[in-house]
Amino acid sequence: MENINSRLKFYCDADRCIECFACVVACQNAHELPVGIARRKVVTLNDGVEGKETSISIACMHCSDAPCSQVCPVDCFYIREDGIVLHDKEKCIGCGYCLYACPFGAPQFPKDGVFGAKGAMDKCTMCAGGPLETNSEIERHTYGQNRISEGKVPVCAAMCSTNALMIGTSEKVSELYRTRVLARGESKEANNSYLWNVAYNKQSRKGLTQ
Amino acid sequence: MKKYRVLLSSLLLSMTSLYAISTGTYDDPLYGTAMLNAIPKYFAFGEVFTYLQREWFWKGFLIALFLVPVAGSIHYMIIGPKVFSHDGKKIFAFGLFMRIMHNLAALSFLVLVPTGFVMAFGDFFGGGTFVRVCKNLHGIATPVFAITVLPMIIAWIRDMIFNMDDVKWMMIVGGYLSKEKKPIPAGKFNAGQKAWFWIAMPGGILMILTGALMFFLNINLSPVATLFGVSQIDLLRISAIIHNVLGMVVATFFMVHVYMAAIAIKGAIHSMITGYKEEEEVAILHSSWYRKLKEEGKV
Amino acid sequence: MTNHFGDIVANSKLIMMVGANSAVANPIGFKHFLQAKDRGAKLIVVDPIFTRSAAKADIYVRIRPGTDIAFAYGLLHVIFKNGWEDKDFIDHRTYAMDQIRAEAAKWTPEEASNVSGASVAQILEVAELYAKTKPAAIAWSLGITQHSVGSSNTRILPILALVTGNAGKAGGGCQIIRGHDNVQGATDMANLADSLPGYYGLGKAAWEYYAKTWGVSLEYLQSRFHPELDAKGEHKWMHAKGFSLAKWWQGVLQEEKTHSSAPIRVLWVQGTGITSMSQQVKIKEAIDKLDMLVVAEPFVNEAAIITDRKDGIYILPAATQFECEGTLSATNRSAQWRTQVVEPLYESKADHEVMFAFAKKFGFYDEYVKGMKMRVEKGEVVQYKDDFVWPDDAVREIARTVKSIGLSGWTPERLRKHQANWHLFDPLTLKGHGEMEGEYYGLPWPCWDEKHPGSPVLYDVSKPVNEGGMGFRNRFGMEHNGVSQIADETVTLPGQKIKGGYPQLTKANIEKVLGITLSEEEKAQMGPSWAMDFSGIIQKYAREYGVCVYGNARARTIVWEFPDPVPVHREPIHSPRWDLVQKYPALPDQDNNFRVATRFISEQTKQDWSKEFPTIMTSMRLVNLSGAGMLERTSKYLSSITPEMFANIHPDLASKYGIEDKGMMWIHAPHGTKIKVRAHYNRSVTADRICMPYNFAGVMQGVDLSANYPEGTRPYTIGESSCTVVNYGFDPITQISEFNAGLCRVEKA
Repeated sequence: MENINSRLKFYCDADRCIECFACVVACQNAHELPVGIARRKVVTLNDGVEGKETSISIACMHCSDAPCSQVCPVDCFYIREDGIVLHDKEKCIGCGYCLYACPFGAPQFPKDGVFGAKGAMDKCTMCAGGPLETNSEIERHTYGQNRISEGKVPVCAAMCSTNALMIGTSEKVSELYRTRVLARGESKEANNSYLWNVAYNKQSRKGLTQ
Repeated sequence: MKKYRVLLSSLLLSMTSLYAISTGTYDDPLYGTAMLNAIPKYFAFGEVFTYLQREWFWKGFLIALFLVPVAGSIHYMIIGPKVFSHDGKKIFAFGLFMRIMHNLAALSFLVLVPTGFVMAFGDFFGGGTFVRVCKNLHGIATPVFAITVLPMIIAWIRDMIFNMDDVKWMMIVGGYLSKEKKPIPAGKFNAGQKAWFWIAMPGGILMILTGALMFFLNINLSPVATLFGVSQIDLLRISAIIHNVLGMVVATFFMVHVYMAAIAIKGAIHSMITGYKEEEEVAILHSSWYRKLKEEGKV
Repeated sequence: MTNHFGDIVANSKLIMMVGANSAVANPIGFKHFLQAKDRGAKLIVVDPIFTRSAAKADIYVRIRPGTDIAFAYGLLHVIFKNGWEDKDFIDHRTYAMDQIRAEAAKWTPEEASNVSGASVAQILEVAELYAKTKPAAIAWSLGITQHSVGSSNTRILPILALVTGNAGKAGGGCQIIRGHDNVQGATDMANLADSLPGYYGLGKAAWEYYAKTWGVSLEYLQSRFHPELDAKGEHKWMHAKGFSLAKWWQGVLQEEKTHSSAPIRVLWVQGTGITSMSQQVKIKEAIDKLDMLVVAEPFVNEAAIITDRKDGIYILPAATQFECEGTLSATNRSAQWRTQVVEPLYESKADHEVMFAFAKKFGFYDEYVKGMKMRVEKGEVVQYKDDFVWPDDAVREIARTVKSIGLSGWTPERLRKHQANWHLFDPLTLKGHGEMEGEYYGLPWPCWDEKHPGSPVLYDVSKPVNEGGMGFRNRFGMEHNGVSQIADETVTLPGQKIKGGYPQLTKANIEKVLGITLSEEEKAQMGPSWAMDFSGIIQKYAREYGVCVYGNARARTIVWEFPDPVPVHREPIHSPRWDLVQKYPALPDQDNNFRVATRFISEQTKQDWSKEFPTIMTSMRLVNLSGAGMLERTSKYLSSITPEMFANIHPDLASKYGIEDKGMMWIHAPHGTKIKVRAHYNRSVTADRICMPYNFAGVMQGVDLSANYPEGTRPYTIGESSCTVVNYGFDPITQISEFNAGLCRVEKA
């Protein structure tokens, strides 16, 4: 496998995230998603509880060992060289297994089938489109904008109002985050920071930065 | 009247499963806070599901797929089918209502089982439209099956209780390993049928429930989730595991049942069409029931 | 803002937010606080509600709504008692601090705690931290201003900054965080009933000044008003404040005593949320009673929806910001040029086009646009062309006219250049480099002339005036009670050629103050004072002598024109503490402010409201909706975030009334109105208060008004407006409604 640190990753700095939903709405709007499909979500834990409230933005973490791709019965996932995990909607049958395998609830299912049956899965593409012709109309229609091919940052991170959401190679993101944490004088936290390297190995969950 | 009440309630039951509830995105019962809270517990069911689905389920289904046809072929070639006289007297076994129920269930199974296999080996078929259609058929066939469950349970549960005959039946594997036509200890249903009943009915209910959960995905199931003390995503993972494992078992038993009815005992299938069984067949394969009918003077 | 966000990021060591939830109301602004925090600055949040901003704070202090003054005096008491105040700053640059000191002496931490609900320990901790950490910024927002004591609130917080010497310092100062773009600009341009643009007021001199710049005669302007004369023979209504947005409806209904020539008959709504103002039921009644309602908005303003009337409503499509060009003022007083992205869609017209069409129809178009065809020649404003270019000529008109806050340097050419050269400015200092060397981004006002770089930090005496420095403004006379209002001689700015403080420059005193002699020609061209000097000669000399045209004075801590010269705590009109109402009663009733009488003490003491209405009610904003929400609720994505109106309620309070989580409840207000909303269990509120967003409309007192929307215009979400139950109460000066400290009774629905 190529250098793990050169893969593109998201990281949300919970000390910065204020639940402004800019990432969510930017994503929905840029990709013209149906209402109810949240490729990216913002969740607040312990809402209103003094000293405990935390907000965080989550989407597909583009895992190196993507569990979704391991369980897909039709094998519709593929992982790009830069680490972006994508899938083929033509192949996808909307069974939901990827959701069960995903720790983050990234896969979304439009209810467009018979009696509300799940349609083809939809998830964060890191704004990199899909297997169709890059930047074609059909790609935009099926998978949303392909900003990566244009050298742009994914729209969620571009729109983040507090720069909580970071995107880049694991190396860059952890470097950036570590600088922030050290400036905060909470060096203990730097150790806890993790980037989702291997989804289910408990050891590696602690992360790359150790 | 009672029958129709049962039928009506079954219909209503299956109708509720068709009602999809839309949910806001603000705090989705599945995707919202609960999902985030479930991340630390991912290793419990998430990892197990991923591991099973990656390593074992497809092997299980492969075995299930070939076990019965292979075993059946061997049985057919070595021992061969049992043929009973179709010219003798008939014994009335199943009323019209129950025949309809049974055959609806049979029909749904003929859809459910093959489409289930198609999904399990979706990559073999290359995914896409064909597998998606199968998935939808799998979903549509479910309510059909759901309608039949209650009537079948109510009608047959008394006959399905195991007794000493069944132990004896088990000892001789229902006499299927010999070509002899020797009376075999069994009531209206033999131990094999009873086993099938007990797998297909409670198992079927479980399959319906777990399947419905997976079908509707993010309807609010927090009461159920709380009941089991897990998050909704874990409930779904558990459902997927149960559905797969049970699926293998049910599919295997279904194929056995089909083999028995259509091949191993020539013409046995007619009893579910006309309602009448051959007297000879009953005398041999359901000897205890035959004796009882005789005592009651019904033959 | 006296400073700017970059300055906070770079320099602040402490930020105290009082009555501001920028994480929700201005997320981009809040980023800068978080960046400062990442650098090690402490963030203190003082708020009745544990907000999203509070969640990020180092210290969170929960106070009772409407007790900010008590809390601030608690801090001042501790600061003075321990001698933590900046004595030099107080001596050299402030006036009447002894009166503040005397008032603060009454507010022991115990009393401040009793009134505000903050603990004594917290008051001591915050006082020490705020006084000893420098520079420290105070930030506030509508949680401070929207109170029946709002104008006192907005004075007590700057006093804290003055006492600790944080005023006019990089990283210090008072940061008023605006919640929408161009709120600052709208205020500067006086979209208000009590002033001409640029805070010139409504006096005769101001009207004369504006008559000149608009190229019309004073008589013409007078002829536009009702001819009634006052006792002094002046045009009565020309110099009287108009009705305010908060109480215009009394001009229609006239239930309270009003002072106007006639009842209001027509309401023209353009760019404001009528449904975000209090007393919605009264507003509805007033709209019902009007002859005509005109709404010129990009989206249907729900003013047109809350009424039952079937005709006499005209909805005109106005263009959005993307379809217009012009300037905006950011929250830090920087100007930003905004380029048109698309031509106005369909039949919609830019706001100025709508107004031009109006002026044409009513026959004053020529006078209306004449100011844009004029320029200054030898101190006189003369017409020099027959046509005008929008928006450039409008910006030029503003630049030559609005000297009071120093917009003289805001020429369209400079502002366009700033827009084109964003990348050449440093975000932390606002300083330009390369081609933009020597200017601050957006020329934050005051920008005294076309060479001035703008003033990134107000009242900063460490910089020369010509590089953005200044003292406090000399606005209130040379002396008061025999004490000089001019800064003492230690306050000499770099580059200043005269020593110490000096008065504001006028034609009469400029020779004496600067020690110069004016030529006759200069005297002839010069206006009476710096703020009305079209010729620019006063500014020319000020530049030469390194002084600020508005003077170098002391900051007054008392406002002798106000009913409360010294800001004092007064209980909210509807107070949960009857005992404190006796001790800290409201002001006497007002006979005439913005043409209408307002009840204060009579309403407050009518009965012990807390008996019948035991729960405190306060309002908040949602991050996905702004103002009355009529714009955002038409977005399917934004409205799906909060699909419904709700109120946050503590589980203990809810269970007392049998209200279930996500169940419906009624909220009853003292003035007899009620709303039905969904209860959200939430611990951000304590069990004595509820909190709800004000961003909904379209349902009133349980009645769905969907049918009133013109076909196809109903937003994705509608809901009860909290403004239906916002209690009666208005600020005595600004007349803003008391949105934040009211009482209510909740009931299971």
